[in-house]
Amino acid sequence: MPPPPPPPPRPAETPQPAESVLAEAEKRASFEREALTHLDSLYRVALRLTGNAAEADDLVQETMLKAYRAWHQFEKGSNAKGWLLTILRHAFINEYRRRIRHPETVDLDAIEPFSVFADVQDEDPQGTFFDRIVDDEVLRAIDQLPEQFRETVVLSDVEGLSYDEIARILEVPVGTVKSRLFRARRMLQGKLYDYAVGMGYIKGTPK
Amino acid sequence: MNCRECTEHLYEYLDRELTSDVEQEIRQHLADCPPCGEHFDFEKLFLDFLRARCRAHGAPPELKRKILRDLFGA
Ligand SMILES: [Zn+2]
Repeated sequence: MPPPPPPPPRPAETPQPAESVLAEAEKRASFEREALTHLDSLYRVALRLTGNAAEADDLVQETMLKAYRAWHQFEKGSNAKGWLLTILRHAFINEYRRRIRHPETVDLDAIEPFSVFADVQDEDPQGTFFDRIVDDEVLRAIDQLPEQFRETVVLSDVEGLSYDEIARILEVPVGTVKSRLFRARRMLQGKLYDYAVGMGYIKGTPK
Repeated sequence: MNCRECTEHLYEYLDRELTSDVEQEIRQHLADCPPCGEHFDFEKLFLDFLRARCRAHGAPPELKRKILRDLFGA
């Protein structure tokens, strides 16, 4: 019996070999799963850093593009949110900050933190006046903080990161995170207290 | 632990950044010292308020579409 004829030659391969199509699909799936899920966080941080929705859009888009190109360098399963925020912050510092806001020249350590509690403990120790302050007013107060305070408070109170994660993203010692957070929160409290006094939510005296 | 030492750890305590030993000492001081207890309650309330006011907002849906188009061309 003669051997069966050899199979006909396969049609020419598609331009991309099957493995690389598969790798691309896997890359996309893992990026969507691990990186794009943090889009809301990135946007909130970008918005507070740039202070403007259009710039925040651009900054986040650019961050995602850079992150996707560098995705092979990301250690899968490690902290993607921290990794993305680091990319975002570098992009902000390199390309946006000079254009949008001027870096502060004030000596932040010279700012004496005061305690709102000392002022309200007789009239409103439970701080119920805070409840009357709306979102926009709080965001405005954050936007008025010096940049180093603003970024620290946003990473901690808006995004819920640990001191260690914040220190890594901001590239400062943990002790610096602690002291900035302390001053930033007290300063924010002071601003919101002044606002509440101005609105008549609480008697007090503006600082 | 005295009041000053306790207050120095205020935010680290509220942020759960302390070792369990120190955390325990503070909890003890707060239980024994009503003024510090009140102060810590106030600060805790402030942080809860701050977080509730700031975490509500997310990225606009159009931004996600733009990014998907940028990255995957679809
Ligand atoms: Zn005390």
